[in-house]
Amino acid sequence: MTELSQIDLRSLATGHKRTWDAFVAAASPLINAVVRRTLSNQRPGEDDVLDAAQDVFVRLCAHDFRLLKTYDPARAGLSTWLAVVARSAAVDFARRRRQSTAPIDEVPEAALAVEDRHVEKLKIPEGLLTERQTLILKCLYDQERDVSEVAQLLKIDAQTVRSTHHKALLRLREYFKGEAP
Amino acid sequence: MSTERPILSDKELWQRLATGRPAAPVTVSDMDFAAWLEGRLPEATAARIEAAVAADPALREAALDLADILGKPLPVPPPRIAVRAQALVGFAAERQASRTSWWAGFLPDFGGSLGFQRGAVAGITAIVAAVGFLLGGGLGESYVEGKYASLQSTTDTRASGRDAINDLTDLFSDNT
Repeated sequence: MTELSQIDLRSLATGHKRTWDAFVAAASPLINAVVRRTLSNQRPGEDDVLDAAQDVFVRLCAHDFRLLKTYDPARAGLSTWLAVVARSAAVDFARRRRQSTAPIDEVPEAALAVEDRHVEKLKIPEGLLTERQTLILKCLYDQERDVSEVAQLLKIDAQTVRSTHHKALLRLREYFKGEAP
Repeated sequence: MSTERPILSDKELWQRLATGRPAAPVTVSDMDFAAWLEGRLPEATAARIEAAVAADPALREAALDLADILGKPLPVPPPRIAVRAQALVGFAAERQASRTSWWAGFLPDFGGSLGFQRGAVAGITAIVAAVGFLLGGGLGESYVEGKYASLQSTTDTRASGRDAINDLTDLFSDNT
């Protein structure tokens, strides 16, 4: 089977049938995985996964392959870009599906939760933390991900994540005359 | 009674803090997002994307999920995914190449199959020939006409011969 990296993108963008078929065969595993992960919290049926995956391919070839023609191989790999496109399409599919039928009793309360604005939070002044420090803290605490997942996301090693996390908290504690960790 | 403030854990400290929200949501293009996921952006551009990802929980969730998926072997997809997607694109290139004569453009497009096209030409030709033949009278009428024409010529010949004999008979009967 042809790898994604071996696909002739110029031929693909002209709608060459055999190139399209090879591209679909190579991309299906990735698109299937992304769509399933995106829809996972909705407990989708197999037909929903197939429909969502088809939506992705329709987006790619619609209007004379307009979306596919925006891909720039100099900026990112085809797999990564396809994964991003598949995620967007799956999110739109999930939104449309949710709008059609969603009995309120079946929606988890957390999804309907509204932030309690009466709780006063201390505001972190701009510039106190770097964008990366903020992102790491949010992933670790808001998203409750572990260090290895954050390291994989940012393409850094786990020790660097821990070190960045530690420095960020030191800054926060110092600024707010904090309590010792 | 202790007047010391309780020691907050790192998580508790973070939960008591609010980060500033950007004035307007920052849009990150698919291409920029993909480049950032691969760590290919220069520092300044990467910082802008990281700020956007940090501010948007959905984008953060997407980033973490995609990094996880791209970092591990992929499961085998159901075959129907490929079958349905491959049907989206037909043999347009082959169709364009086969249209060598101008009149082929008037033929219906049978999904790109050359065999169907040639069959259609043969069918239409047969229909035109049959209609023309029927309008012209068909085989039965032409045969009858031909037969009548031959009979007519035979009858005429006999009639003219009989008249000649009658004249001669009359001639000889009058003289005796």
